[in-house]
Amino acid sequence: MKSVLKLIPIMVISITIIACNSEQNKNTDAGNNSEMTHDHSSMNDSSLISIDAILNDYLELKNSLAKDNANDAADAGKKLYKSFESTNSEKLDSKLKAEYIDIVEGAKEHAEHIGDNAGKIDHQREHFVLLSKDMQELLEKFGSTKKLYLDFCPMADDGNGAFWISEIKEIKNPYYGSNMQECGSIKKEY
Amino acid sequence: MYKSRKRFLWVAFILFFLIQFYQPKRNVENTISEKVDFLFYTNAPDEIQYLINISCYDCHSNNTLYPWYSNIQPFRILMDMHIKNGKKNLNFSDWGNYSKRKRETKINRIIKEINSNRMPLESYILMHKDADINTIQKKRIVDWLQTL
Repeated sequence: MKSVLKLIPIMVISITIIACNSEQNKNTDAGNNSEMTHDHSSMNDSSLISIDAILNDYLELKNSLAKDNANDAADAGKKLYKSFESTNSEKLDSKLKAEYIDIVEGAKEHAEHIGDNAGKIDHQREHFVLLSKDMQELLEKFGSTKKLYLDFCPMADDGNGAFWISEIKEIKNPYYGSNMQECGSIKKEY
Repeated sequence: MYKSRKRFLWVAFILFFLIQFYQPKRNVENTISEKVDFLFYTNAPDEIQYLINISCYDCHSNNTLYPWYSNIQPFRILMDMHIKNGKKNLNFSDWGNYSKRKRETKINRIIKEINSNRMPLESYILMHKDADINTIQKKRIVDWLQTL
């Protein structure tokens, strides 16, 4: 009995220590968060929105398709979908934000379908035609810090022709891959 | 051995019986909004209306014509999954509410899905013979879609 009584203050102390610690953790978490959001706002002050994360995933997807790798393309599509979700458009004024959301709503669907169709590269490439149009619009509306090229292949999309955005000067066609790697030309530089 | 198999059959039978009580709300709205519905919105000719109604609207609108076996589970659960997914990708009953951009993209996608024979789904055609539209009919739909 006595030994149990001795234990009580120890228990009380340890509980308070644990409680205090978790409280502290919460505090530091909150501190980190506010710092992070602060960082973002100072970064976005100039451009209001940064689509670089989206562009990076798009380029990864483009390169996977150019290498005929439907599984990597699916992974990149999933990553791209997440980047669309996490890109913050709150700083845009309401008109610009509505335009942004209209473009991204469609682009997200294409990213999702590309992610869901691992192994079906033809289906992925169909969506990539439309996704690339969306990306071009995003890029021209919101800009990027990267050096980029707009490429065009007149044969892609059943002869309708299709664009894609590239980070390299060299033509590496994502619609045909190794079948017709060099089909296409640079139409624009950003 | 015989006894355990008998017990398994009993459990399976009871589960099958119980699952019949799960009858969620049907995808039936009854009313069709003439302002929003795709076929009204686009003023589609009668033939196109018929073809699209019979081969697309069960999964891509708010009004499904349920077959008799939709009363039996687990068929109904499978059907509902198809309808939910179908409407998420394209809901003709909501067409007029789509943005201009979205409508253009969807038309492009519909044409590709039809031309590649991905749509209507093979599993759907298997159970709905009248939805098995032929190449000429498909071409009629696609040609019309391209005029929009």
